[in-house]
Amino acid sequence: MLHALVLLPFAIAAAVALLPNTARNATAWLAGLTALAGCALLGVAAPAVFAGDVLRASVPWFAGVAFGFRMDGLAFTFALIVCAIGALVVLYARYYLAAEDPPARFFAYLLAFMGAMLGVVLADNLVLLAVFWELTSITSFLLIGFWRYRADARAGARMALAVTGGGGLCLVAGVLLVGHIVGSYDLDRVLAAGPAIRAHSLYAPALVLVLLGAFTKSAQWPFHFWLPNAMAAPTPVSAYLHSATMVKCGVFLLARLWPALGGSDLWFYVVGGTGLVTLAFGAYVAIFQQDLKGLLAYSTISHLGLITLLFGLDTPLAVVAGVFHVLNHAAFKASLFMAAGIVDHETGSRDMRQLNGLWSAMPITATLAMVASGAMAGVPLVNGFLSKEMFFTEALAVDAHRAVEIVVPVVAMVAAAFGVAYSVRFVHDVFFNGQPVGLSRTPHEPPRWMRIPVEVLVVVCLAVGIFPAVTVGPLLAVAAASALHGPLPEYSLALWHGVNLPLAMSVIATVAGTGFYFLLQKALDLHTVPRLPLDGKRVFDAIMAGAQALAERVVRMLPHGSLPRSMAWIVAVAIAAAAWPIAETGFGGASVAQTPGGPDAGVGLIGWIIWSLGIAAALAATLRYRQRLTALVFVGAAGLMVSLAFVLLAAPDLALTQLLVEVVTVVLMMLVLHFLPQTAPPELQGWRKICDAGIALAAGVGIALIVQAVLARPADPISPYYLEHALPAGGGTNVVNVVIVDFRGFDTLGEIAVLGIAALIVHALLAGFRVPASFRPDTPVPGWNPLLVKVVARTLLPLAAMVAVYLLLRGHNLPGGGFIAGLVLASAMILIRVAGGSALPPATRFVHPVAIGAGVLVAGVTGLGSAALGYPFLTSAFGHPVLPVVGEVPLASAALFDLGVFLTVVGATMLTLLSPGVLAAAPAAVARTEGA
Amino acid sequence: MTAWLIASGIGVLTATGTWLLLRARTFDVPLGLTLLSYAVNLFIVAMGRVGPGVPAIVRAGVPPSLAHYADPLPQALALTAIVISFAMTALLLALALKARFVNDSDLCDAPVDDASPAQDVDPAPGRVGSFAR
Amino acid sequence: MTPDHLIVAPILLPLLVGALMLVVERYRPDVQGAIAIAATVALCAVAIALLQRAAGDEIGVYLLGNWPAPFGIALVADRLSALMVAMAAGVALAALVHAQSRWARCGPHFHAFFQFQLAGLNGAFLTADLFNLFVFFELLLIASYALLLHAAGGRALRSGFHYVVVNLAGSSLFLIAASLFYALAGTLNLADLAVKVAAAPAADAGLLRAAGLMLLVVFALKAAVLPLGFWLPDTYGAAPAPVAALFALMTKVGVYAILRTTTLVFGPDAGPVAGLGGPVLYALGVGTIVLGALGALAAPRLKGIVAFLVVVSAGTLVAAVADGTAQTLAGALYYLVHSTLAAALLFLLVEAIARQRGATGDRLWSAAPVAQPALLGLMFLGAAAAIAGLPPLPGFIGKLGILAATVDAPHAAWLWTALLGSGLVAMIALARAGSRIFWKVRQPQPDPAAVRVGGGELAAIAGLAGAVVALAVFAAPAQQYAMATAAQLLAPRGYIERVLGAPPVTRRAAVAVAGEGAR
Repeated sequence: MLHALVLLPFAIAAAVALLPNTARNATAWLAGLTALAGCALLGVAAPAVFAGDVLRASVPWFAGVAFGFRMDGLAFTFALIVCAIGALVVLYARYYLAAEDPPARFFAYLLAFMGAMLGVVLADNLVLLAVFWELTSITSFLLIGFWRYRADARAGARMALAVTGGGGLCLVAGVLLVGHIVGSYDLDRVLAAGPAIRAHSLYAPALVLVLLGAFTKSAQWPFHFWLPNAMAAPTPVSAYLHSATMVKCGVFLLARLWPALGGSDLWFYVVGGTGLVTLAFGAYVAIFQQDLKGLLAYSTISHLGLITLLFGLDTPLAVVAGVFHVLNHAAFKASLFMAAGIVDHETGSRDMRQLNGLWSAMPITATLAMVASGAMAGVPLVNGFLSKEMFFTEALAVDAHRAVEIVVPVVAMVAAAFGVAYSVRFVHDVFFNGQPVGLSRTPHEPPRWMRIPVEVLVVVCLAVGIFPAVTVGPLLAVAAASALHGPLPEYSLALWHGVNLPLAMSVIATVAGTGFYFLLQKALDLHTVPRLPLDGKRVFDAIMAGAQALAERVVRMLPHGSLPRSMAWIVAVAIAAAAWPIAETGFGGASVAQTPGGPDAGVGLIGWIIWSLGIAAALAATLRYRQRLTALVFVGAAGLMVSLAFVLLAAPDLALTQLLVEVVTVVLMMLVLHFLPQTAPPELQGWRKICDAGIALAAGVGIALIVQAVLARPADPISPYYLEHALPAGGGTNVVNVVIVDFRGFDTLGEIAVLGIAALIVHALLAGFRVPASFRPDTPVPGWNPLLVKVVARTLLPLAAMVAVYLLLRGHNLPGGGFIAGLVLASAMILIRVAGGSALPPATRFVHPVAIGAGVLVAGVTGLGSAALGYPFLTSAFGHPVLPVVGEVPLASAALFDLGVFLTVVGATMLTLLSPGVLAAAPAAVARTEGA
Repeated sequence: MTAWLIASGIGVLTATGTWLLLRARTFDVPLGLTLLSYAVNLFIVAMGRVGPGVPAIVRAGVPPSLAHYADPLPQALALTAIVISFAMTALLLALALKARFVNDSDLCDAPVDDASPAQDVDPAPGRVGSFAR
Repeated sequence: MTPDHLIVAPILLPLLVGALMLVVERYRPDVQGAIAIAATVALCAVAIALLQRAAGDEIGVYLLGNWPAPFGIALVADRLSALMVAMAAGVALAALVHAQSRWARCGPHFHAFFQFQLAGLNGAFLTADLFNLFVFFELLLIASYALLLHAAGGRALRSGFHYVVVNLAGSSLFLIAASLFYALAGTLNLADLAVKVAAAPAADAGLLRAAGLMLLVVFALKAAVLPLGFWLPDTYGAAPAPVAALFALMTKVGVYAILRTTTLVFGPDAGPVAGLGGPVLYALGVGTIVLGALGALAAPRLKGIVAFLVVVSAGTLVAAVADGTAQTLAGALYYLVHSTLAAALLFLLVEAIARQRGATGDRLWSAAPVAQPALLGLMFLGAAAAIAGLPPLPGFIGKLGILAATVDAPHAAWLWTALLGSGLVAMIALARAGSRIFWKVRQPQPDPAAVRVGGGELAAIAGLAGAVVALAVFAAPAQQYAMATAAQLLAPRGYIERVLGAPPVTRRAAVAVAGEGAR
């Protein structure tokens, strides 16, 4: 049943959202009935609750958190407020909303809020409470922003979300701490663990975080400012969320957790102090509002402060009084908001400088408003009076430092006087005090049904005010009992307690307040009072703007967008990562190179020559980097030296590959360079070069030291296994190749895929791309077709083809293999084309992406063959079948794999090189046509 | 001595490569990366130690140990690395070329400007054959 | 025993389908989409099967080429790998369905690239070999370059160049680190590496730690941890929607690699490299959260906000992983799934929104209202709440898990402040964006040229949204899986023994005919 109570509004909200906005009555009926259904469910639960037991219903949700609900007196009371006032608000809103306001959206939001609110009050564990807590923030954001075209609505909505949502996050943190202390989020266990919590070292942070949540939600000073700005919402929303229910979440939380968190000096001073300040501040500021709803908003702040103060006073009786005032305030403030809404609705204005003397126009509404403001002011016969009396009693009963014992009652009385003052102003300024000023329409009574909700609430105020014991007595009893989580204190609900100090204070406050108001009207016409200088909104906006500016400055400092700067970061971090531990522990190990084959095997003079040439080339490339062609040549030279170095390091396959890749890369770079500026402009910032040089130097030295240190160590790798098994198990003597196509064939499969994709990207980027005709290369295509090259190339091709096939076949046993073979063939064919002159046909004439796909497929399917035989992917098999004539041929499945590699490499290389090659043709063609 | 030669060689290649990598022009960067990849490939092979200087092509009668052959594994890894870095360089060059005409600058340290719609992704459905202009 | 091909399938299926696409593209371009979707659905099926098996705490090992570990390349499907593969498959399916509406036709080879990307991702998640991990990183990176440049304008060209170069630098560093590990430990297999490193002589400690840290730098770069993650916002900002959605997985690859190595190789009993990088990663993670949040606040475009929130989630994950207790890891794993799904969903939504606002696109200026305010507005509200970590969506549950697990952790205050603060900032930034896009409209009527959300796009969006909701509703089983995964990660012995003890398939007579050398 409890789940139904909470989830029903959400379900109906979804249904309502689907209705067309033309269905005004249908949406309103659905919403209203949902609220009434809620009341009915509460009626069903009432007997049990009044009998004092606690209803529970729970289904597990996630670790340590159940999706469960728990209804005791306090929860019941708040749920009743939510549903009852909800029903009235729906009725009211049905007539309040204008024709152009989409009712489906409005009621869907409203119902969602109702569900979230019920969730907050009924949740049986703190996490679930926080969940629904944030949901109320979100729904309130949507409702405040309902009139989306109004700037103040948007701003108010975002402010409310930022403040209450932020508070909600604090609440989450606080809840987590409490749960950590108690060992459970379960409300029953938390409420029972009060002493343990107060004794724990995390009590203070937990309390403060929870209170931040409560204070932001209940608009306590200094977080109060969002509430007046939330008045941009439609009045039903203000009446419902921002006076009767949502803003009560905070004080509800105080009541709920009082047994667990209350009863400490910290609680007394923080909660009580905040409440006291808010009470007085709100009441004072309310007097000077010009906006009807602004006045009510600050009055709400003040009353919330009063309730907070009561819970802060930290005595059972104060808690009773607090709960009581929650009920009373809900009743009279909701009716006042609705009355204000009626005034707004019928006059088109909420400005008290325009609204005067409406008594003649709408006497009934005026009467209702007067009774309600009587309750707000706390005059006898209306409910506000009773809780105010209790409040005074408690204020007088404060037992703390002497000063506190004086300050609290005095401030309480002064605030009460202010309360009377703004209540009087509300009545006097709107319904009397001259004639209306420049209203857009002529005021009159609202539609019958729009006034019903107000009348109901006012009747409640009177009933409670005159016969408290019979009307509200039982409800208050169960609510207070469960709030106290213990026995009820002695208290009497009666209109008349005889002449006592609280009564005297009431009288003084009433008289003084009334006098104060008329004094103000006389002395300085309240209509001319400007807005208060210190406005919370301005502070908030300033903070927001500040954060924004800070963020933008920081982000500008980040090097995102600038490649060199983020590269510098990355290199620097990498160096630091390597240097740090080495700096800690040093390189360790011996310092002299001890290599198995004796020192310097095979490296003598040649080694020195290669070394010096390579280094010279690298340095030259760097120093000459602005002359790009030159730099490119030097880089090529360095690469050549590297491949020679590989020869010395007994890596023939590597040397061959490096050499071929070198050729292809350089050709490609030349083709591309043709379209780029031939010279780089001088650096703008010299310092940049310097610090780059620093970074580069550090990197170089660092890596050199690492190599030095490693080479000085003995090695014990897994590779002897490969030397051992290459021939018997892999069927090849060239271990490197066997590793590539067999032991680690999977790497190779991925590698050719990478190569293929790169080629496809190049092709996709450049194919069909036309260089703008206006483009003039800085230099003509570098001298490509001297006769010699042509002749050499022509003779080279068939040779190259043969060499390629040979390399491919023998690769498994001698240096070579699919990759090298592929490169040989491809580069030879490229050379032909290049030598053939500038007019290159499109790449696809020679090779199509299909070749790449086919290559990968061949390799992959070869691997699958073994899977068909019940072996893992890429398991190789080989044999030496004897063919007639030819004789024995080595045949390994790995060779087939290598064929796939070969295919891919040929396809990819040619695609890569020819794509820019096509472009190279374009400008030449342009030049020719112009020549003709 | 060999160790020192290799180490210093790799060091110089790394330093020069890194410095070029930090330039702000689209052509210098691939140059730098090429030098850097030389350094890395040498580094990988060096990590297998210098060894006896005999290629890892098994011959009958020679015991299959690192005392008689160079370590084949780092060589295989370096082969893969070479191929991949070649692929990446090619891609990078094509990018540099295209970017020069589309953005009509070969700078690569300007942040993308969020305000100008000109730089937005602008798909034209149905166009197959090439990436957008 | 017969090899369990299910483990290699998530790599081979997309790899071969991708290659096939290049052929199909030539001869039957019309059936590409169908094949691609069929293949991806099949991939999802495979992934789910793997997930179910892993849920039984079974660690599947696959010896490629039938070579015993550590000599060949081994694939391992444990709980974590299975989870990542399943997540990738799901997001990929959504992105692919979404792409059918338009993007797949905006450039050549889209489907091939897409499948190759998947092969790369799954390979990275499944391989147990350091160098093979490098290869798959390259595969998924180059495929991602291709997808990023897919139908791209100058913006993507520039940020693409940036992205490529940054990752190439990362690759070089990866090679250096990996080969340094080989030089010192003499192996590349992660399990073997864990054993050898733990037994390494003290003299090698410095170099080993250096190698390890360099490796972590590479992974942090992929995970977009600042100060290495500057490439991410522009890159994602330039990517087409389905690609950006797929990219939501990319940062997770880095997180995965960090998680894998820190638990397997740099675990508590790893001798000289025990607990490597923990404090640094924690600090970097927290810093990343802060900077990411500021970035989201400053971003002038909705897509920028989302991209920076991806950075925030990366920071959150790295910090949580660095904290490293079982509870924190469990929370992190749950949060990882959520943040991936939520980010993907938002990227898809952002484009749908941008396309309906004319030239203004996703810039946070007031412009024409979107053509489908109810649908997009509601979806955006939900997705924004999810990624901002608002209840009751999984972002909240995940953050809650991490926070609750770190109450007693050292320096917990930093993480708490950063996490909650970033949540608030995300809320503020997204609320501002939402109110400017959906509320502050310049004209009553939407742009007549507005492109309405296509069927495939809607399906993808709905699917991802459903997944997010399901993750919240079924939080309990999800958390149990995460918890068990964390436990498995923190007990690497099982992984190591399974890998090094995995027997090759014994030779069978049937094959002897094919070749006497067959093993």
